[in-house]
Amino acid sequence: MVLEATMICIDNSEWMRNGDYSPSRLRAQADAVSLICGAKTQSNPENTVGILTMGGKGVRVLTTPTTDLGKILACMHELDIGGEMNIAAGIQVAQLALKHRQNKNQRQRIIVFAGSPVKYDRKVMEMIGKKLKKNSVAIDIVNFGEDDDGKPEKLEALLAAVNNNDSSHLVHVPTGPNALSDVLISSPVFTADGEGGSGFAAAAAAAAAGGVSDFDFGVDPNIDPELALALRVSMEEERARQEAAAKRAADEASRQGKEEEPSSNSQDATMTDNTNNTAAETTEKTADPMDEEKSLLERAFAMSMGTSVSDTSMADADTSKATDEDKELALALQMSMQDDTKDPSNQSDMSKVLGDQSFVSSILTSLPGVDPNDPSVKDLIASLQGQPESSEQKKKEDEPPKDDK
Amino acid sequence: MSAESTTAINRSIVDLLDFIDWSGVECLNHNTAHSLPNAIKQGYREDEGLYLESDADEQLLIYLPFTQVVKLHSIVVKGPEEEGPKTVKLFSNREHMGFSNVNDFPPSDTAVLTPDNLKGKPVVLKFVKFQNVRSLTIFIEDNQSGSEVTKVDKIALFGTTVETTDMKGLKKIEDNH
Repeated sequence: MVLEATMICIDNSEWMRNGDYSPSRLRAQADAVSLICGAKTQSNPENTVGILTMGGKGVRVLTTPTTDLGKILACMHELDIGGEMNIAAGIQVAQLALKHRQNKNQRQRIIVFAGSPVKYDRKVMEMIGKKLKKNSVAIDIVNFGEDDDGKPEKLEALLAAVNNNDSSHLVHVPTGPNALSDVLISSPVFTADGEGGSGFAAAAAAAAAGGVSDFDFGVDPNIDPELALALRVSMEEERARQEAAAKRAADEASRQGKEEEPSSNSQDATMTDNTNNTAAETTEKTADPMDEEKSLLERAFAMSMGTSVSDTSMADADTSKATDEDKELALALQMSMQDDTKDPSNQSDMSKVLGDQSFVSSILTSLPGVDPNDPSVKDLIASLQGQPESSEQKKKEDEPPKDDK
Repeated sequence: MSAESTTAINRSIVDLLDFIDWSGVECLNHNTAHSLPNAIKQGYREDEGLYLESDADEQLLIYLPFTQVVKLHSIVVKGPEEEGPKTVKLFSNREHMGFSNVNDFPPSDTAVLTPDNLKGKPVVLKFVKFQNVRSLTIFIEDNQSGSEVTKVDKIALFGTTVETTDMKGLKKIEDNH
């Protein structure tokens, strides 16, 4: 919640036409600037932000430090590209603008977007740094775009000269799939703001698609602990279920499916789902190997389909009445019934494996981290579904006579 | 009407430490490990090991607001022989000065410190210039030996207050009515 006046120096030189940061370097900067302004204002409403451009015909101050976000965003729209970046003049003008800030109690900070080559030498940068330090101005440097030899060292020299108690930072943003703003969000430029700023930054990270964030699943536990917990738990569940499915397929050959039951039960118990717990209890009562595996399958399906379906599946477990809405569930029930009645050797093994595959493919599509449009995933699902398709039709024919038990 | 409140009370010159408004105190170009309270606060300033040190270069700019209006009589600046300050400029009632505008206006007074001063001998100021001081800016321009950093052990301000402070006297008058 530190009271701060910030001047943001934007690089609008010719180098910013490049599209290596989508959509173009200049627009990437504009996005980052709007995020920074939002974060600053949110962490303390009295914080002010001003903008100046370093390229073009010369350094031009677009707005002096102000709390009005609308004014700042309006200026961002009018940016045009041209000329060369004059970093020394830019920083000095920024310092002057900060000196004349209205609220003298605000700390002074400059944020520089250094995208094009720095034509000044180290000595000049160090002198500028010293002057900033003397006037207690902190600086955040965002190094992106052009990476000619010497630029990182010059910026490091500037940082070393200014840095007082770690209040200044230098962030390198390499080109890549992550947008400029996303990389900045997780950098000290944002996180040095304190509680309010980091909350905003985390929210922005969650909102940004494929954002680089420090939290799993892009959800900040501070903002949404239940969601973060649920995601984490369901991820573990899926993993456990997949292991169980793989194990079952392996164990069926040796008929040792019982050991996995308690382990998967314990993992299931972490899920805060009462119906599933009751399902575990009811299935444990039977203690029949066939029933256990059947109920395991049913429980797994229930969890992926939702609790309402699990209720019906629990009720129907013993009667094995297939619900029409859910063909896969019916298939599972069918298979388990077949196991009861038929010789549990080759055919049951195969059917179980097939069942597992279709059920595994259904899991794959419902996994939070898996994108169903990913070609590799599509191929996998197709290969899995290709096999049981023919046997599915066979089983559906068998369904009507087996329906009532 | 008793004349108690209107007679010229001979105020003795006191240490103005108690009248410094700590919330507004600022110091530019100081090393954060060796900061301003080391030189000014009671106890800190007597300690030889605690001193105020400059950072990027040898200049220091100290801003001290007061809780009430004071008259400044003299100051004491103690420091080591070599890195102690030499030229000290004082500005009264100028808020938020920076190094760039120290030379824009003439100082209220300038003191060139001798080694005697650095040992504790007070520097008497032009009293007439400091009759109505709300805030004081101390600009240490250079040091004795011209070294990169300036070190200050103690800064003490002496003077008198301006406002009537004798509330007890006031009450007595009212009781007589």
